[in-house]
Amino acid sequence: MVEIGHFALVLAFALSLVQSVVPLFGARTGNERLMAVGGPVAVTGFALTALSFMALATSYLQSDFSVANVWENSHSLQPMLYKFTGTWGNHEGSMLLWVLILTFFGALVAAFGANLPATLRANVLAVQGWIGAAFFLFILTTSNPFTRLIPAPIEGRDLNPILQDIGLAIHPPLLYLGYVGFSVCFSFAVAALIDGKIDAAWARWVRPWTLAAWVFLTGGIAMGSYWAYYELGWGGFWFWDPVENASFMPWLAGTALLHSAIVMEKRSALKIWTLLLAILTFSLSLLGTFLVRSGVLTSVHAFATDPSRGIFILCILTLFIGGALALFALRAGSLTAGGIFQPISREGSLVLNNLFLTTAAATVLIGTLYPLLLEAMTGDKISVGAPFFNLTFGALMVPVLLLVPFGPLLAWKRGDIFAAAQRLMVAFGGALLAVLVTVLFIDKTAVFTALGIGMAVWLVLGALTDLALKSGIGNVPLKTAISRFVGLPGSVFGTAIAHFGLGLTLLGIVSAVSFESERILTMRPGDTTEVGGRVVRFDGLHPFQGPNFTEDRGRFVLVGPDGKDKLEVISSKRFFPARRMPTTEAGIKTLGFSQLYVSLGDEQADGTVVVRMWWKPLVTLIWFGGLVMMVGGTVSLTDRRLRVGAPARRAARPADKTRPVTS
Amino acid sequence: MVFWFIAALLTLAASLAVLMPLAGRSKSDSSGDAHDLEVYRDQLAELDRDAARGLIQPADAEQARAEIARRIIRLGGEDKQRRGSGSSASVTRTLGVAAVLAVPLISWGLYGVLGSPDIPSQPLRERLAQSPADSSVDELIARAEAHLAANPQDGRGWEVLAPVYLRMGRYDQAVTAYRNAIRLQGSTAEREAGLGEAITDAGDGMVSAEAQQAFERALRLEKDQPKARFYLATALVQDGKIQEAASAWEAMLASLPADSAWRSPTQAALAETRKRMTGTPTAEVAPGPTKQDMDAAASMSPEDRKAMIETMVAKLDEKLRQNPHDVEGWQRLLRSFLVLGKNDEAHAALKRGIEALGATTEDGKKLADFAATLGLSATE
Amino acid sequence: MTRKQKRLSVIGVGAAFLIAATALTFYALGQKASYFFMPADLQTVTLQPGQRIRLGGLVEKGSIIRGQGTQVSFSVTDHEKSVKVTYTGILPDLFREDQGVITEGSFGADGVFVADSVLAKHDENYMPKEVADGLKAKGVWQEN
Repeated sequence: MVEIGHFALVLAFALSLVQSVVPLFGARTGNERLMAVGGPVAVTGFALTALSFMALATSYLQSDFSVANVWENSHSLQPMLYKFTGTWGNHEGSMLLWVLILTFFGALVAAFGANLPATLRANVLAVQGWIGAAFFLFILTTSNPFTRLIPAPIEGRDLNPILQDIGLAIHPPLLYLGYVGFSVCFSFAVAALIDGKIDAAWARWVRPWTLAAWVFLTGGIAMGSYWAYYELGWGGFWFWDPVENASFMPWLAGTALLHSAIVMEKRSALKIWTLLLAILTFSLSLLGTFLVRSGVLTSVHAFATDPSRGIFILCILTLFIGGALALFALRAGSLTAGGIFQPISREGSLVLNNLFLTTAAATVLIGTLYPLLLEAMTGDKISVGAPFFNLTFGALMVPVLLLVPFGPLLAWKRGDIFAAAQRLMVAFGGALLAVLVTVLFIDKTAVFTALGIGMAVWLVLGALTDLALKSGIGNVPLKTAISRFVGLPGSVFGTAIAHFGLGLTLLGIVSAVSFESERILTMRPGDTTEVGGRVVRFDGLHPFQGPNFTEDRGRFVLVGPDGKDKLEVISSKRFFPARRMPTTEAGIKTLGFSQLYVSLGDEQADGTVVVRMWWKPLVTLIWFGGLVMMVGGTVSLTDRRLRVGAPARRAARPADKTRPVTS
Repeated sequence: MVFWFIAALLTLAASLAVLMPLAGRSKSDSSGDAHDLEVYRDQLAELDRDAARGLIQPADAEQARAEIARRIIRLGGEDKQRRGSGSSASVTRTLGVAAVLAVPLISWGLYGVLGSPDIPSQPLRERLAQSPADSSVDELIARAEAHLAANPQDGRGWEVLAPVYLRMGRYDQAVTAYRNAIRLQGSTAEREAGLGEAITDAGDGMVSAEAQQAFERALRLEKDQPKARFYLATALVQDGKIQEAASAWEAMLASLPADSAWRSPTQAALAETRKRMTGTPTAEVAPGPTKQDMDAAASMSPEDRKAMIETMVAKLDEKLRQNPHDVEGWQRLLRSFLVLGKNDEAHAALKRGIEALGATTEDGKKLADFAATLGLSATE
Repeated sequence: MTRKQKRLSVIGVGAAFLIAATALTFYALGQKASYFFMPADLQTVTLQPGQRIRLGGLVEKGSIIRGQGTQVSFSVTDHEKSVKVTYTGILPDLFREDQGVITEGSFGADGVFVADSVLAKHDENYMPKEVADGLKAKGVWQEN
């Protein structure tokens, strides 16, 4: 079975070579038969990659230590779930997952692209083939997961304990679905450039694919953030760590792409810019893969690394990004530009959004790469951390967040900013109230916090205002309003929900950062302490034997105001003998949207234990907001009209200012 | 065999995926506009389906239809330049053949370099289920560990495993295993001495206070327990009480039975100590561990024991082939062969050892002397 | 405004925005980036009081002192010089003697480095890259 998987992988590589050459040649010469090769080959390639992945997963599930990769990253006593997720909890396996998803998307294009123009389909599949071939070759030459180990050891070296968590089951697959989902947009863009014209199909395909990839990437980042939050035991949710930035940059560019694709779809404008963004977004995904996999950056959660891999991925990176951009430079001039619009209009607001988001992505890129460049040139070692990103990224985000509620309220082509501002009065009033309440009743000195909370409320109310206006609540009889509300198109709901989610995330961030209370102290059994107005008692350490680890469990009790025990929090220190590695398992209890977070330190000679405790108000909103954004994206994706890209009906009575002018 | 069959099938399927479209009927090449028109037609059809199913509001559907119509009209206005489709049939055929051939050639060629087709999968469960005689020591240990993970109250199991761990150099686990054995099976001189030895080895050979206590408990239970006596004397050396250590070893030698495995290590240690007393510093001599191994094996079933010992010996033998400059290793190997009753092999090993170490070197002489105490001579 | 003027003004605003963003980025890089030093490097540089830096090296053997409650002090060394560091909080799981460590913080008035974060290696195979490079440069790196 192992060798079948290995053979299937090699075979998939051979097919990807065929896929990258034959359809392209067919498209150049207009040969239908050569072009038709792309489809079946893409589907078969996916089937073979899936077989290969299954073979590796089976080896993991069966603890087949004759496979070096399994021996390095698994242990026979691990729970089944972690044996399975261990398949991609290491460099080789995660790259196999990467190409599995890539070929999966290629197969989707082949399967659902029957109505695509044959040349476009052939070119798209060929570009997917190039990416596939490059990564198959990378896996086979530098990171082969099927290398055998004879004689087979009887016990594995265990999966890195930090990765033995449900987070590993979800985070990388979601992240890769996002990263690689953008490859389809990239392939369509490059295919359009090869062809020298932007097909109707490009406009039709780019938005749904971008949306889908964006939804996955949003989920992957949110999940990764929560995982780091509870697994590392530091209580932080975002570290501006290079690996996090690597996933955040494509997200920023992808968000920009998402918005510019709207303009392209509805108004046929910004075609060339959208094309460039599609290329940039996937380039940043590739860069992210490079940064994480090559080991040029050391990071709090990088796998072990190897320089030869770095050089290989750097070559892939240069080839694809450089090639695509060169092609763009060569061909962009010959593409037809789209419609024109006034600066103050829906298009204008989306352009502004794009400007800010891409600039933000650029600052993150600079902050991430600058230390590397500086070290290469001068030898100085610097670290660019949270202070830098908070200043630059924050400064760029403030205006864009302020403008978010305006966008959906402006009309296409020519908008009326004053009318939009008028309609947002309620939201503005709400935000002002939130600022005042924060300053007057919570903390008189926290001006920035108050403004942050005001901005979050502004976003949330702005999204609601959008929905209320579009369904006419307050202007038409309630019954009509409800029926209109129900009848609103999915994309309107999607936009409002996603912007609402953004507001929630912001509220969570501001609240968790500004209002959290922290205690670091030593406790002995029976001691109580107070954190964020809550009383917590320590009940002592108790040993516990896990399947492949031993554990000291600290039992903490949240004492209610009535003096009775209310909730139990278990925080523990684990020791994994196979790797001789300790981990800290934070104890977290969610109350409403807030959390009590308890992290356990070392036991002192006198029997006391160092304990670090946080009360984090509204912290779960950070990830809940991400979830809401995903829902928004999904709702938008289900909008049938998107497939056509028709603008919705013009307002029947443009003079009536109380009605929205546009969809 | 099954592998080659499946591999051939997969190759066939992959080649067919390339071949079939190539062999298919050639459709006429249509212009770019026609493709776009196709897209729009397809959209119209989808729109009608959605409208019929009520997935889209009639008004929205109307709007969308109008938009599609607008775009169809606009099609005429865009430039229609299209590259010529004038490639010769022979080029096409050549590329087709090359593509079909590339699949088996690249895959089999590359796999031939990278793969290991003759190595079967080795799921752990199957490996553990195979007959013990074929298993390696590691597998036997894994089996015992699995058993103990399921039945942690099995004191006998811990007792079997403890000396094996010790022998493998997994000292911490040996300590735990001995502790468990003592807790579940009660204290005996043998177990306490084993515990002491494990603690000592875990501490890089230093006889700690904890280890001393274990040895003392062993002596209370059996006042002649040789291992405990030996290590307590070692502890004396480590405390700098060389004189006392020497007399302890002398007393021990006097009381040991003539065939005791502890004779030679004790003699060696005594010699060492005397040398030190006369001022020549030398390395410490490690005690022969064979006895513990035998003890471990003693409580296994006869087949298990034999298999285990033989694998251990084979392993040691292999190690010495790779790194023959290890006097102690040779000594252990000789002793092991004798215990197993393989006299011929013991002779052969002795010869090999002396060859490797050199008959005139100190190590070589040491090995010959050692062999002599076992009744073996190299010149036989 | 004519169409041309409009376009020019749009381009002008865009360019001004980009210049502002670039200026902000480089200002922030100058102000907010923290430099990495090994103990011996500190002799050759002058630090402003309170300047944040990252200090890396090995945890000196026998230097870990757990003080009152949650305060810990230890020395970071590169086998040439060593610097005393104090830290309040929970040390990382893999914080051990003779292991690579990176601390971030600033020097107090008494010359003791006050760290507000301590990073240790993440698993058995991992040594903070800066520390490894620094030790290699000093010739005291040992491949294990």
